[in-house]
Amino acid sequence: MSSIYDSFSQALSLIFHLDAELLGIIFLSMKVSCIGLLVAVVLGLPLGVFLGIKKFRLKGILITVLNTFMGLPPVVVGLFLYLLLSRSGPLGFLSLLYTSTAMVVAQSILAFPIVAALTHSAVIGVDPVIGQASSTLGATRLQVSLAVIREARFGIVSGIVAAFGRVVAEVGAILIVGGNIAGYTRVMTTAIALETDKGNFELAVALGIILIAISLLINSVLHIVQKKGMVGVS
Amino acid sequence: MFRKAVFCLFLVLCAVVVRPVQGFAATEIICSSTTSTDNSGLFGYILPLFEKKTGIKVKVVALGTGAAIEMGKRGDADVAFVHAKEQELKAVKEGFFVNRHDVMYNDFVIIGPVDDPARIRGMKSASEAFKKIAAAGKFVSRGDKSGTNTKELQLWKMVGIEPKGQAWYIEAGQGMEKTQRVADEKRAYTLTDRGTWLATKDKDRLAMAILVEGDPMLFNQYGVMAVNPARFKGVKYKEAMEFVDWLISKEGQQTIASFKDKNGNQLFFPDAK
Amino acid sequence: MGLRLAVSGIAKSYNGDTVLRDCSFTFKEHGVYILTGPNGCGKSTFLRICALIETPDSGKIDYSLDGGLLRPDLGLRRRLTLVLPKVGVFNTSVSRNVAYGLAIRGIRSHESERRVNKALEFVQLGHKKRQNALTLSSGETQRLGIARALVIEPEILFLDEPTASVDQKNTGIIEDLILQMKKDKRTTVVMATHDREQAEKLADSVLAMKDGKFS
Ligand SMILES: Nc1ncnc2c1ncn2[C@@H]1O[C@H](COP(=O)(O)OP(=O)(O)OP(=O)(O)O)[C@@H](O)[C@H]1O
Ligand SMILES: [Mg+2]
Repeated sequence: MSSIYDSFSQALSLIFHLDAELLGIIFLSMKVSCIGLLVAVVLGLPLGVFLGIKKFRLKGILITVLNTFMGLPPVVVGLFLYLLLSRSGPLGFLSLLYTSTAMVVAQSILAFPIVAALTHSAVIGVDPVIGQASSTLGATRLQVSLAVIREARFGIVSGIVAAFGRVVAEVGAILIVGGNIAGYTRVMTTAIALETDKGNFELAVALGIILIAISLLINSVLHIVQKKGMVGVS
Repeated sequence: MFRKAVFCLFLVLCAVVVRPVQGFAATEIICSSTTSTDNSGLFGYILPLFEKKTGIKVKVVALGTGAAIEMGKRGDADVAFVHAKEQELKAVKEGFFVNRHDVMYNDFVIIGPVDDPARIRGMKSASEAFKKIAAAGKFVSRGDKSGTNTKELQLWKMVGIEPKGQAWYIEAGQGMEKTQRVADEKRAYTLTDRGTWLATKDKDRLAMAILVEGDPMLFNQYGVMAVNPARFKGVKYKEAMEFVDWLISKEGQQTIASFKDKNGNQLFFPDAK
Repeated sequence: MGLRLAVSGIAKSYNGDTVLRDCSFTFKEHGVYILTGPNGCGKSTFLRICALIETPDSGKIDYSLDGGLLRPDLGLRRRLTLVLPKVGVFNTSVSRNVAYGLAIRGIRSHESERRVNKALEFVQLGHKKRQNALTLSSGETQRLGIARALVIEPEILFLDEPTASVDQKNTGIIEDLILQMKKDKRTTVVMATHDREQAEKLADSVLAMKDGKFS
């Protein structure tokens, strides 16, 4: 018991005297997660909207695949990406292994299906009358899609936040492709794993607290946004 | 506004993707090593000195011993710094690595209760001592697949004893310091590395002593080797060799010897030839 | 006379069920046209096709101006609009709903604000400007639909049962709006309704639809 207490009190003092190394780790974590998420959103959101609006053959299969990939085991993603990016792999010439770019790629692969699938379900949840209404008012196809996206925005934002949650908490894939190199590819989660291994529980706990605080912050923001969007509140 | 936001995000994205590419201009090499080496803090001490001298940044990827060598074999490292001499020599023979050199060693010691119930004090052979412990003592194992644990299991195998499940064999599943404390409480023997022992024996008031040391079996030899550039085009062989040469140079060796843990004990003993 | 619509030989079926068959009519003069007919006879379908948001299986929808045929492109679509029976309000404020048609035409800020306010005053919703449109009553929602349509100053306005499930007071407001437009003679109104009294009160001509045809 006292050991947990000690870890916590020392962790708190570490948080209050944020040193450069800790800050660097937090910053890199946020950078990798945000950019990975951004890529996933840039690719996944249009796909989700497309799947929600258009009718075509094989659509059902594609959606099933996406839903399956939502639960893709990160280590498997990491492994495949490693084999691709390895110098003896097909993409070795890119020299991306053990860089933050490789971590971003891994994160976007993990976040992409979540963003796409949840965007899709948000979009099909929008009343078709919305699309028709914007069309009657003279909207182009793109403008109709944007109107539908706007109606689905709260569902889409939830999807993005869910993807962010997955991405910031991720260890397996980024450990494999990033290598947890101090100062280059060490992020919060991989640092927690390492420090726990080394028995530096204070640092691990400090990072854990920060990670949870960030998640809490993001979810609170989401909650406020959702509440604002709820009918009758504004 | 939506489009503006997307555009801004896109710019940020480009900036980040481009950054690591610029990084190639400065020379960076990747060194595969083991978790225990990295955790000792040695790299944090010597690498800044090396970088200051040569301008080469060494990025350490720490893995298990096997994985660290494997990583070099796939060409994903430029240099490997590990402690598994047999496996290293085999990989060199297979043509994956070149220019392997001994760099340093640390050693393990067998510690136990000062009154030494199994009567192993001063024995020259670690494996013989293990036999006596199995017969007349208790043993606390780290039981966590660490390097120390691996070395211990190797010794049990040598003497043909299967310790798992025996009444006298306790698996702590803890770090080295905790394991020593457990051994102290249980009046048992354990295998520890000299660095941890020196750092903690007074602090933890251990009623224990070093009973067996100096058996070559207990030496942990560290070696360094460059990934064979003939096998992998992208390998930064020149910079890797600068690192290898520095480690085995007089300066590199002195640097290793001057690395102390937080209690001021020397952890590694340079022995490059 | 401005924009003129000639519908000839329209047919439409959904999943093998024929809804419209050989449906023809020419809207020549400015005025109010009332479309009547039993439930499911195809009024809404006809209006959607005329408003160019759905295509017929066969037949022609010809819009012409001074004798010249117009291509059914975005430019033409933006000269007409249809208020759907369910309206389809966006989850945002009343004024933003009304501004939508202007925003997609690139009309923003002052100009937009002026026109939105005018349209909202016209349908007597000025005081509800900032309210979320989803919280409006059905009568108010229909009026919002009309304001959203009028703000883009359509040359032809299609209305699909704007007074269904609307109380007398609101129906009165909407009918007055239509009479006002009739007087202004700038907009042709084509409206579907089941209310005979209303039809007689508003119509310049009544089109009775039965089994997917005008009788
Ligand atoms: N998208 C669609 N898919 C399948 N069937 C449709 C579709 N739209 C309309 N229908 C069918 O076409 C027929 C005509 O529908 P429509 O809405 O045009 O009738 P209406 O004359 O407007 O009826 P009401 O007076 O009840 O509004 C109905 O039987 C309806 O079920
Ligand atoms: Mg209808």
